[in-house]
Amino acid sequence: MSTEVLTLAERKRLRAKKIKKHGLANIVTHWFNAVSWFVLLLTGLGILGNPDLRIMPQGYVDFMRNLFGGIGGLVESHKIFGMIWLLVITYNVLLGFRRYFVPFARKRMLLTPDDIEWLKKYGQKLVGKKVTLPPQDAYNAGQKLYGYVVILGTVTIGLTGLIMTFSTLFPPEMRWIVQWARPFHFGAAGLVVAGLIIHVYMAAFFPEEKSAFFSMIHGEVDALYARLHHKKWYDEKVAEERDYEMRVRLEEIEAKEKEAEGING
Amino acid sequence: MTNDRGSSFVFRPLGEADMANSVKKYGFVIDPKRCIDCRACLVACRAENNVPLGSTRIWVYDQGVQGTFPDLSQQFVPYNCMHCDEPPCVEVCPSQATYKRPEDGVVVIDQQACIGCGLCLPACPYHARFLNPDTGKADKCNACLQRVEQGEAPACVATCVGGARLFGDLNDPNSDVSIALRSAQSAQRLPAVGIDTGPNIIYINDDVDEKKLAVTAPQIPAADAFYKWIVIPGVLAAAGAAFLGQAAAFARQLRKGESEFDE
Repeated sequence: MSTEVLTLAERKRLRAKKIKKHGLANIVTHWFNAVSWFVLLLTGLGILGNPDLRIMPQGYVDFMRNLFGGIGGLVESHKIFGMIWLLVITYNVLLGFRRYFVPFARKRMLLTPDDIEWLKKYGQKLVGKKVTLPPQDAYNAGQKLYGYVVILGTVTIGLTGLIMTFSTLFPPEMRWIVQWARPFHFGAAGLVVAGLIIHVYMAAFFPEEKSAFFSMIHGEVDALYARLHHKKWYDEKVAEERDYEMRVRLEEIEAKEKEAEGING
Repeated sequence: MTNDRGSSFVFRPLGEADMANSVKKYGFVIDPKRCIDCRACLVACRAENNVPLGSTRIWVYDQGVQGTFPDLSQQFVPYNCMHCDEPPCVEVCPSQATYKRPEDGVVVIDQQACIGCGLCLPACPYHARFLNPDTGKADKCNACLQRVEQGEAPACVATCVGGARLFGDLNDPNSDVSIALRSAQSAQRLPAVGIDTGPNIIYINDDVDEKKLAVTAPQIPAADAFYKWIVIPGVLAAAGAAFLGQAAAFARQLRKGESEFDE
């Protein structure tokens, strides 16, 4: 967060001004992903009933199994929900690969020296030190790192899930692959969920990120939030606006010049 | 709480006290002296349970000719899933697709719930499980529950010409198996190597050498240990730290209260 002092009038003006952050494709994909994760997490935890692997209490496991008509129905449903999720996510990524994924990866995901600095400073901030955080891009370093966890986690979960869903296609001597898929499936999901706890807290409860939460609904953040939390991205946006403004004015001037030429000629 | 194999599974012990609640404990009593190695039981089992050719749910072990001439003997040991009191195959199943029926102790597999990981195959000290080539999933003797629930004996028992195989409720003193056990000269279980899983096939009237039956200790693949001792603690630590972190931040946030300038 930047420490520069803003006047109240300036704060109010910036707060009223909106900057577009997420497109409709992003928003829809995000919420589809969220609902899928919720359903897959609930059903997946219900499958893990073996006392050595169980995470939730036995009552929860029994409840989920009864809800889906037994352990067989629960396992089948988890596989089907998982395949729907994987299919839609893969389709979205492939469909929007050039328009969304590549620019997103190039402009928003790469770690910069400022990000490394931010991570160091943020660690000190967590311990209670007063620090000035370096300016951040559209996503701060923490968000970027979690983005990598989610992407790697999604690939791991998808692959291991497919291995387990189609386990019967493996010959008996290759079943060790299915056996090893289980811990990686669980581990990847667990690490993403660990981050998800922070992600949900930040979005839903953390006062400083309130604007970010609503941006996942209507796509816009207010300029004050952008300026305080994502200074580099904010400056980019302001520059874009200025460029637009300049272009429009230039065109106006050219049009006027032409008109004048018309009268004179 | 863990059992002596380090698993948290707690099996409900089935004892004579369960008689009052009509809880059954199905088991086999097998007299190897009556077996003539005709293997009609294998054929009957395959026909009854649609077992693919090349696989079998039950076996007859030929112990070979024993002794020196003219004192020769040959022993045939009919053999299948022992429906153990504490089955290691149930302990390793991640989805609990295989379980021990609480009402009669038969160990069965829910084919729909089986994820086909194959962990239960090496876990069985009696090697009584196999991957069914038709379904790709684990398969084993289910004590012909479809017949037993209609009041009939399992196919292998019904077809046994010499009466070597008997099946029934070990808790019921009037069952075939209990009567045979009472009049037997000897009774023997085959405990697994290093561990007694409480197998429920009892061999009577003859000594069976379990070393020749390839009975082993339950094998737990490394993937399972990795899952249990590294992945689960790791995930719980990460998720726990994340939860505690956000809880602390939330508490601090509530203590501080809200202001108009929180951005």
